[in-house]
Amino acid sequence: MMAKELFPEAQELRKGRIRIETTKDKVTEIVKKLKENGYEHFVMLSCVDWIKDGKFELVYHMWSYEYREHVMISIKVDRDGDSMVTLRDLFPQIETYEREIHEMFGVNFVGNPRLGEFILEGWPHMPPMRKDFDTEKFVNEIYYKIPEVKEE
Amino acid sequence: MKPIVKEYELFIGPNHPGATGNMSYHIWVEGDKVKKAETRVGYLHRGFEKLMEKRIWMQNVPLVCRICVPEPDVNEAAYSMAVEDLMGWEIPERAKYIRTIILEMARLSAHLLTVGGIAASLGIYTAAQWGVGDRDYLLDVFEQITGARVYHIYIWPGGVRWDVPKNTKELLTKVLDYLEKRMPLYEDLIIKNKVFIRRAADVGVIPKDKAIKWGVTGPNLRSAGYQLDFRKLEPYAAYDKIDFEVPYYPKLGEYEVLSEGSDIYTRTAIRMLEMQQSINIIRQALKDMPEGDVLLKHPQWFAWKVPAGYSYVRVESSKGEFGYFVVSDGGKKPVRVHVRGPSYTHGINVMETIAKGLNVADFAPTAISLDVCPPDIER
Amino acid sequence: MTLNHDDWGKVARMMSKRSLWMVHFCTGCGAMEMPPVMTSRYDMERFGMHAMATPRQADVFLVTGYLAVKTLKRVVQVYEQMRDPKYVIGFGSCTINGGMYWDSYNTIKDLSKYIPVDVYIAGCMPRPEAIIDSFLKLMDMIDKGEAIGWKKYHKYYDQYKRNQRMAYSYRLDEVEDIKEDDAK
Ligand code: SF4
Repeated sequence: MMAKELFPEAQELRKGRIRIETTKDKVTEIVKKLKENGYEHFVMLSCVDWIKDGKFELVYHMWSYEYREHVMISIKVDRDGDSMVTLRDLFPQIETYEREIHEMFGVNFVGNPRLGEFILEGWPHMPPMRKDFDTEKFVNEIYYKIPEVKEE
Repeated sequence: MKPIVKEYELFIGPNHPGATGNMSYHIWVEGDKVKKAETRVGYLHRGFEKLMEKRIWMQNVPLVCRICVPEPDVNEAAYSMAVEDLMGWEIPERAKYIRTIILEMARLSAHLLTVGGIAASLGIYTAAQWGVGDRDYLLDVFEQITGARVYHIYIWPGGVRWDVPKNTKELLTKVLDYLEKRMPLYEDLIIKNKVFIRRAADVGVIPKDKAIKWGVTGPNLRSAGYQLDFRKLEPYAAYDKIDFEVPYYPKLGEYEVLSEGSDIYTRTAIRMLEMQQSINIIRQALKDMPEGDVLLKHPQWFAWKVPAGYSYVRVESSKGEFGYFVVSDGGKKPVRVHVRGPSYTHGINVMETIAKGLNVADFAPTAISLDVCPPDIER
Repeated sequence: MTLNHDDWGKVARMMSKRSLWMVHFCTGCGAMEMPPVMTSRYDMERFGMHAMATPRQADVFLVTGYLAVKTLKRVVQVYEQMRDPKYVIGFGSCTINGGMYWDSYNTIKDLSKYIPVDVYIAGCMPRPEAIIDSFLKLMDMIDKGEAIGWKKYHKYYDQYKRNQRMAYSYRLDEVEDIKEDDAK
């Protein structure tokens, strides 16, 4: 069954692009249901920082080769210290996306054993992809302040 | 005598000729068999997605092409298509054909590198020399058309930057004829080579029933027996007007089916067949290309305001699905651009899983045959 | 005729400039132009140059492009494993001032703050001809005895190490501790 039939609240962005807005507790169920109904390719999991609302938006992208349709399941979590359950049992590759989002945004995924250092090494500051992390200021304060080697 | 050490650890990369670029694998080995593998990435992290949020829409075009070094044009195309999707633009017909030509040339040059790389990792160094050498002829044509060898920044939101030069057809036909003549030599050297077959058949197998579930895409998915290609499923550029075939296992054309599929041999064969298809596509596109404009007349690009919305656009690259998730809030800069690189799943999840049980000597060829390219993993 | 110490140095330099081996370490996206240079079309082997997988047998280190901090650690390690005399070529605008990643939080900007650089190649990305040209320039410098980056690394080791440590920790406040160390 196509996503629109399964979830009437789904909204069609354009042909072949469906967006479902839902809440944290329903995601596992929706992803599972879509997986059973032909949406078998998990494309990716992305995170958007809506700093004005104080929310992170997690977007689960799925695609059906059969219907040629792309579904984005979107949920909002709090920016500070909120957590989400992992979906790595449904699709193994979600694990990697969760590791990245944990490192870059600081969202905690309960049940994922491999969270931790993934891309960065020894990063002491706030997760860099958050909007309140100002990379230009950071660069000016660190890299350009490192002194040149003085030759006598 | 009993061995004293039974299990040991090996580090492949980042400074290792067998590693595909600047990435590394940490493997645990018992005897000659890999017990466990972990992919270590992050050596190329530049924070692209952060930088893109700080630049205006147009400034991001030169950035995105750096996300995949062997095949930069797919990034430009995908990003441009995402912007066009949000803006509601329909690009001129001629631009679509030019994009098709450029994308197929990029696919050809990337496949030449990969096929040569796979062969070189199994000891056939001549193939790598040939692959790189022949790729250079394509780069020369790129230079004629776009002005640069590697990063072209030619595909723009709204079309392509300028029209192709008048003698493109002759230039390209000459190169394509040459490549077509070379193909049988590559076949003799690689696909029909007994040494290659013995090393490559039934090695590094992705289980067929798992391929889609694991998020495998592109030639790797087709070598597992699925005829799935986003050029056909969701045609972009001018692919819907061009007649071409999608090679997949077990329809390997003139090559023998020697294995159960989804192994190094099949992946190489599929790439060879795709190269022939690319030549075919470019020929058709050159023939059918209509006259006309190549760039939309849009407002000055400093003033672009992209309507708020979500867009996901995918293109079929030589490695698999390249997807751009672009979010706009109606401003001059994107809120978020998230790139889905094909190597993200191939390099980390798939590689870690299928590495178990491989011989150490087969590890590098497997990684290269999956066409893992680190810059699109960490971006 | 007897050769004195200086003359022997000249002979040694003349020999070594004709057999430069290069570390095969692709650090950034500039590495994409290395295969054409290494293979048949531009063929750097005609200058006696050859790619080498192990740093201990190599003389030249081509830092091909931007360095993420994580890579800098590996690069420094590789550089320190190379034997003297050793030379560094900074490849592309990323090694000069950060290039297009001037505001990226994870790439070091100026390579010469962390290891001494003998030759820079401008461009993004430089063409194979430019790479070959830089090799010739380096050979010329070796011949004249001007490529002395490795001597600088010994002489100002403390300063290089301090800068490296600052980058590794993404912080500046370690400077004070290191100054104390220097004083001791
Ligand atoms: S200078 Fe250009 S080509 Fe070289 S590493 Fe930097 S961005 Fe890449």
